[in-house]
Amino acid sequence: MSGDNRDAADWLPNDLGGIATAPFERVEHPMLPWEKRCHALADVLDSHKIISTEEKRRSVEALGEATINKLSYYERWAVGFANLLFAKRIITPEELALKMSEVKARFSITET
Amino acid sequence: MGEHEHVHLDTEGSGDYTPGYYEILERSLAELLVEKGRIGAHEVRREIEVLDSRNPALGARLVARAWSDANFKKRLLANGRQACEELGITSYEDTELIVLENTETVHNLVVCTLCSCYPRAVLGLPPDWYKLKPYRARAVKDPRALLKEFGTIIPDDIAIHVSDATAQVRYLVLPRRPAGTDNFTEEELASLVTRDSMIGVVQLGSVPSTPGVAP
Repeated sequence: MSGDNRDAADWLPNDLGGIATAPFERVEHPMLPWEKRCHALADVLDSHKIISTEEKRRSVEALGEATINKLSYYERWAVGFANLLFAKRIITPEELALKMSEVKARFSITET
Repeated sequence: MGEHEHVHLDTEGSGDYTPGYYEILERSLAELLVEKGRIGAHEVRREIEVLDSRNPALGARLVARAWSDANFKKRLLANGRQACEELGITSYEDTELIVLENTETVHNLVVCTLCSCYPRAVLGLPPDWYKLKPYRARAVKDPRALLKEFGTIIPDDIAIHVSDATAQVRYLVLPRRPAGTDNFTEEELASLVTRDSMIGVVQLGSVPSTPGVAP
């Protein structure tokens, strides 16, 4: 079976079993502090039944292949969490925008 | 609210540290959730401590016990989660642990084609390659060729069983006990067991004549 012959419309971007990909490389990097926090946040959200592992996976799938390929593993999670928290009406986009400006200011990052 | 009253989830050592966009997003979400009372102020920090406490040494203890105690092995293969509890290893909510035994005729390999489900309770967090496309796509299509890239040659007369993990069901490989370890203590055995052997991407070699020394 060629890995290229499936109808892309029938498949979710995460459903990778059997497709043709770039060559395998045995890559590993130590987790960055923010990546570990992001993972811990996922666990905390799961334990409070705010976002389950399955919801998190689907939120990443929903980003679409182009976005998924542009973002790193935990970047996808962070965006997925934001979208889910908006959809669940726990956080509004306005609140998040304000908070992000506040955090940026704390690190003396100039708004662009 | 003054700056000092904010809940900071982490402090960076250097004053000139500049987080990227997604880190700012992560910090912002976490702070908003704390401010709204959805999560506790110190829960993320505590969970990081839990993450740091999980590592492949836990899986290695399970494997070494199974090699040393046939009854424990039976219980481990029957119900991984319960057997973990015997050794004081707790699982995550709702996750089942299925332990797959390598034998003379079967080699097991674990993958998560959909994302990155992994037996975190006993191995910690997965390596990058486990989460990346090539491993996930190829493990289920041509595991024998993929294993060769790890330097693992599985002869054609040994079946390769590939198990695809999910959020609820996690798999751990019970590697074959290396030859030359008959007199090893459980602790010595545990020191031989590697993370990758419990994912199934490598096999454990036989041990040379000096007891207790890993090859």
